[in-house]
Amino acid sequence: MRQVGVIVWKDLLLELRTRERFAAMGSFAVLAGVLFNFSIDASLVRPQDVAAGLIWMTIVFDGLLGLGRTFHLEGEDGAFQGVLMSPAPKDAIFLGKAISNFVLLYAVALLVLGVFMLFFGLEIGSSPLALLLALGLGVLGFVALATLFAAVSSGTRMGETMLPILVFPLLVPMVIYGAGATGRLLAGRPVAEVAGNLRVLAAFALVALAAGAGLFRFVVED
Amino acid sequence: MSITGVRRVGTFLAVVGLLGLGVVYWLSFFWVSTEASQGIVQRIFYVHPPAAWTAFFAFGIAALTSGMYLWLRDERLDWAALSAAEGGMVFGTIMLITGPLWGRIAWGTYWTWEPRLTLTLLLWFIFLGYFMVRRSTENPEQGKRFSAVVAIVGALLIPFIHLSVVWFRSLHPEPVVVRPDGPLLPGDMLTLLLTSLAVFLVLFLGLFMLRYTLEGIRADLQVRARRAAA
Amino acid sequence: MVEARGLVREYGAVVAVDGVDLTLGEGEFLTVFGPNGAGKSSLLGMLGGALRPTRGTVAVRGRPLDFGDVAWRRSIGMVSHRGFLYPQLTAEENLRFYGRLFGLPDLDELIPERLARVGLADRARFAVHKLSHGMRQRLALARALLHDPELVLLDEPYTGLDPAAAAVLRQVLEELGDRRRTVVMVTHNLTEGLALATRVAIQIRGRLAWQSVAADVDRAGFEHRYHEVVEGWP
Repeated sequence: MRQVGVIVWKDLLLELRTRERFAAMGSFAVLAGVLFNFSIDASLVRPQDVAAGLIWMTIVFDGLLGLGRTFHLEGEDGAFQGVLMSPAPKDAIFLGKAISNFVLLYAVALLVLGVFMLFFGLEIGSSPLALLLALGLGVLGFVALATLFAAVSSGTRMGETMLPILVFPLLVPMVIYGAGATGRLLAGRPVAEVAGNLRVLAAFALVALAAGAGLFRFVVED
Repeated sequence: MSITGVRRVGTFLAVVGLLGLGVVYWLSFFWVSTEASQGIVQRIFYVHPPAAWTAFFAFGIAALTSGMYLWLRDERLDWAALSAAEGGMVFGTIMLITGPLWGRIAWGTYWTWEPRLTLTLLLWFIFLGYFMVRRSTENPEQGKRFSAVVAIVGALLIPFIHLSVVWFRSLHPEPVVVRPDGPLLPGDMLTLLLTSLAVFLVLFLGLFMLRYTLEGIRADLQVRARRAAA
Repeated sequence: MVEARGLVREYGAVVAVDGVDLTLGEGEFLTVFGPNGAGKSSLLGMLGGALRPTRGTVAVRGRPLDFGDVAWRRSIGMVSHRGFLYPQLTAEENLRFYGRLFGLPDLDELIPERLARVGLADRARFAVHKLSHGMRQRLALARALLHDPELVLLDEPYTGLDPAAAAVLRQVLEELGDRRRTVVMVTHNLTEGLALATRVAIQIRGRLAWQSVAADVDRAGFEHRYHEVVEGWP
C-alpha cells in the first residue's frame, strides 16, 4: 500500500510541474459561475435558492473536464505501461490515482464554492464543517467512479467523450444527496437534518472506491 | 446444456411467452375489473410495471454473469451477459414508452419523476453505456471486459440511485401519485398483475436463451472461419 | 530460466503470435529478428508479463506467470521503443518514482550511480522532454535496469539512436551479459543484434521461422541468410 503514496506523490508533482489540469479546471469554475449568474433571471428566481444545485453541477462538469485526462499524461510516453509492469498491485495504483484526483478536484470544489458564494451572495450557513464534509464525500465518490471509467473510456475509440455517458447515471445519488445537503446547510438548517445525507454520501463513496479498486485490474489488463 | 438444447428450450419459452402475452392482453381488456379512478386507461398497468421489473431482473442477470465472466473467463458467461442486457434494454424501452403514454392520458403529463420511471430511465442509460463501450474498442476482448465492469458497477450503485430518487420524490410530491400496487389491490387485479409478470419473465427467458444461442453460433462461426483461413 | 510453450496472442481476428515455443537458460542472450508485423513486440510482451497470452504459458524459473500476483514482476525489466518516462519530470525524478514504486533502498546513492552508468550524470536535473532521443533511450534503459531484473526485454532499443548512444547501449548490454542475466532483444539492427547474442531467431507472421545458436551463425553472411528465410517463408 506504500505504492499508493508513491503514485500520489508522482501525480501531484506532475500537476505542480504542468499545472494544466488545475488551470483549466480553475478557470472553468470561475467562468461557470459567471455564466450561471447571467443565465438566471433574478426577478423570477432567487439566486440563493438554486445555488446549491448549480455548485454541484459545476463540480460535476469541472470534474469530467479534468478527470477525463487522468490517463492522458500517462499515455504520452507509455509511462503507464511501466507502472502496470511494476510490482505495484492494481488496486494500489487505482487508489493512488483516485486520491491524487481527489486532491485536485476537492481543491477545485472549494474554489467553486468560494466563487458561487461571492457571485451569488451566499452565507456560509449553519455549519461550515458539515458543508466541507458534504463536498468532500460527494467529490470522493465522484472521483472514484470517474477514475475507473476514465481508464475505460481512454481505451475506447471515443476516448474522453464517453466518460459522461458512463458516469452521469451513476452520479444521481451524489447530486441529489450532495446538493440537498448543501442547499440546506447554506440556508442555515441544522446539521442534524443533513446527517442522513452525509451518511449515504459516505456509503456511496465507500462502495465506489471499493468497486474501483476491485475492478481496475480488469480494465487495465491486456 | 448444449447450444441446441438451449435453442429448443428458448424457442419453447418464447412461444409460451408470446401466447401468454396474448392471454394477458385479452384478460386485461375483457376479464379484469375496471379501476375506479382512472378507468380503462389503468389497464396499461398490467404491462408497464412488469416490463420494468423484468428489465431490472435482466440487469441483475447481466451484472451477475458479467462478474462471473471476469472471474472465470468463460466466453459463454459473456454471451449470457450480452443477451440479458439486450433483453433488459428491450423491456426497459417498453416501460419507458408505455409510462409516458399512461401518464399523459391518466394524469395529463408525459413525464413525472416517479421513482420507478426515473430509475428505469437511468438503468436504460447504463445499458446504453454497456453497449457503447462494448462496440467501441479496438480489441473485442477488451470491449467485453469493459462492458462487464459497467454492468457490475451499475448493479452495485442501483440501490443508491433508487434510494436517492425515492427520497427526492418525497421532497417534491407530484400532484397525482397512483398507488396501484401493494395489498390494497383487489383480488383479480393482483392475480392478473402477477400473471403478467410471470408471462414477461417467461418471454424474457425465452428471448434470452435464443439470443444466447445466436452468440454461440456466431462464436462457432468465427472459430471455423479462422481455421479455414489458416 | 524462461520457458514459453504454445504462446498464442490474438487481437480479435488478428493472430499476432501463432504458437511459439521457447526455452532460455540463465545468462542467455536471444535476439529476435523479423519483418514488421511479425508479432515480435507481442511475443516480447508476453514473455515480460505485459500481455496476457490468449493461449499458452510462460514460466520464469519454473513458475508460470500468475497475473493475480505481483511479486514476479521484480525479476523483469523491459525497454520498449516508448520510454515509459514522464516527459515533464526530470531524469532524476523519473528514476526516483520507479525506485520508490519498486521499493528499492538507498535511492539517493543508487540513482546517481545508475545515471552515471548510462552517461547521464550531468543531466539528472533535466526534464525528459528536453533530452535528445538518444539520451531518453539511455534513461529508459537505466529505468528498466534500476531494480536489477533477472530477465531483461528490449524492444527495438537501437531504433533512432546515433552512433554514440548506440555505443553506450552496447556497453550496458555487455555488462548485462557479465552479470548472468537473461536477455531477449528484438531489433532490426543486424550487426548489433548479432554482436552480443548467444541465440538468434527470426520471427515471421507469428511463428519462429528459424532459430540457431549464435556461435553457428556466419556473421558475414547473415544478412543474406535473413533475406533467404524471410522470402522463403510461405
